[in-house]
Amino acid sequence: MKTTFDAIVVGAGPAGSSAALTMAQAGLDVALLERGAFPGEKNMFGGVLHRLTALEEVFPEFWNQAPLERHIVKKSLTFMTGEASFNVNFDTEASDRTPYNGYTISRPKFDHWLAEEAVKAGATLLTRTTVDDVVKENGKVVGVTLLRDGSQLRAPVVIAADGVLSFTAQKAGLRRPQFDPSHLAVGVKALIDMPKETIDDRFGLVRDQGASNEIVGCTSGVRGGGFLYTNYDSLSLGLVLHLSSLSEGTKTPYDLLNDFMAQPQIAKYLRGGKLLEYSAHLVPEGGFEMMPEIVGDGILVAGDAAALCIVTGLNLEGINLATQSGVIAGKATIAAHQQKNFSKSGLAVYRRLLEESYVLKDLKLYRRTPHMLHNDRIYQQYPELVCGIMDQIYRIDGQPKETMTKMLLRAAKEKIGLKNLLADVYSGWRAL
Amino acid sequence: MNINLDEIFDTTSFTIDREPHIVVDSEACTACDNRACTTCCPARCYSWDEESKKLTFVHDGCLECGTCYVVCRKQAFSRWRYPRGGFGVSFRLT
Repeated sequence: MKTTFDAIVVGAGPAGSSAALTMAQAGLDVALLERGAFPGEKNMFGGVLHRLTALEEVFPEFWNQAPLERHIVKKSLTFMTGEASFNVNFDTEASDRTPYNGYTISRPKFDHWLAEEAVKAGATLLTRTTVDDVVKENGKVVGVTLLRDGSQLRAPVVIAADGVLSFTAQKAGLRRPQFDPSHLAVGVKALIDMPKETIDDRFGLVRDQGASNEIVGCTSGVRGGGFLYTNYDSLSLGLVLHLSSLSEGTKTPYDLLNDFMAQPQIAKYLRGGKLLEYSAHLVPEGGFEMMPEIVGDGILVAGDAAALCIVTGLNLEGINLATQSGVIAGKATIAAHQQKNFSKSGLAVYRRLLEESYVLKDLKLYRRTPHMLHNDRIYQQYPELVCGIMDQIYRIDGQPKETMTKMLLRAAKEKIGLKNLLADVYSGWRAL
Repeated sequence: MNINLDEIFDTTSFTIDREPHIVVDSEACTACDNRACTTCCPARCYSWDEESKKLTFVHDGCLECGTCYVVCRKQAFSRWRYPRGGFGVSFRLT
């Protein structure tokens, strides 16, 4: 087997396959390593893929080329308590026109497809290949060793796209060995079988239109949120839970997920469905502050491995950032080959191009958001406040009403406290 | 419908490696004051027995999420890596 390449990409997820595809198209000899039996086997996410502007040059009709479930036309945010829910829904025809703004996808299919596109362009995909360590010579990364037999693969550039825990980046000395639990969340998901027609009827959808719903208040006070997404003929239902909060409590992720499924307004959507698959994965939610070093001598870090993920509470962006960073890492490697300079300074163009792109601009813009979201009130008191107010507005009980302003102020005072409310509004305004 | 981890092998596929990819030094767990692994692991791979004061870890149903690696306060892992290529959890539909 060939053991020397122009570049080695660790991980055939969206970042790695995008990097491999970019480099292979430019004629580089690329090895794309995947620990799963096929690309996508180990990959899991909530379910919404945002528009991939980075790949539009390569796939001008992405929506006809990639394996997708539905394109998202309805986005909603729900505040939920044990028995009530208040829903804000945004439904637009603009999202029903190409280029679509987002999709639901199945990772085993999507990641497999993207990796195969890299193979078509000339990359060598090696599956069932877990990387054990990086090979260093004179302080420079010059390859990787494989777990299966300790053998080496060599290349002047290694791109670590091996996901949120990136042991490749750690072994190259680019990230600290210990993670801060407040930077990470665990996502748990139930994939639920349901006929397409039933989904269309329940969610008010036609053709391959899809809906995505983010839910706050469904986690028994643990910081985090829920999601419910429509696939073609299945639903993705899950929770994303902050590890620093989950580890302080006594409820397990699956207990919380079961409670969520049993909540009356959610249970109605799931009626008649059958559990197909249960999965879990970490989400790097720490934002800009969490980023490791992303450029070293002979190595670049992309995607989740570089903590490129933006969480605002309304949107969760990851794969679009991963793909963009993969393409840029590929371009930086191509440039390094042209200059024959694989040192940290030769590869520094990666960081520069990422800074110029929306990836680092947005990550910096939302750098205060992770901190803002570490506020327990968001996950219990506020949903209770919102649902409580709606209940009072609509309830007819033979009692005289008070003015709306008076009622709002009293409810906010009781549930949140006015000082907290002001602090939260200020912190939300600064973070978003 | 609910998630019943006693039946996880009915809904999630695994190719189980005889050699565990995670090894816990349970001596360290005895002194741990919160054992977050037991509540945070989404696959219930960790359990604490109060009587014998012993932490048990089973790697069979591990979803390879990394939660235990992050929440462990005692750095109790003498090994924490992903399974050998081709082994471990196999998401087919997600």
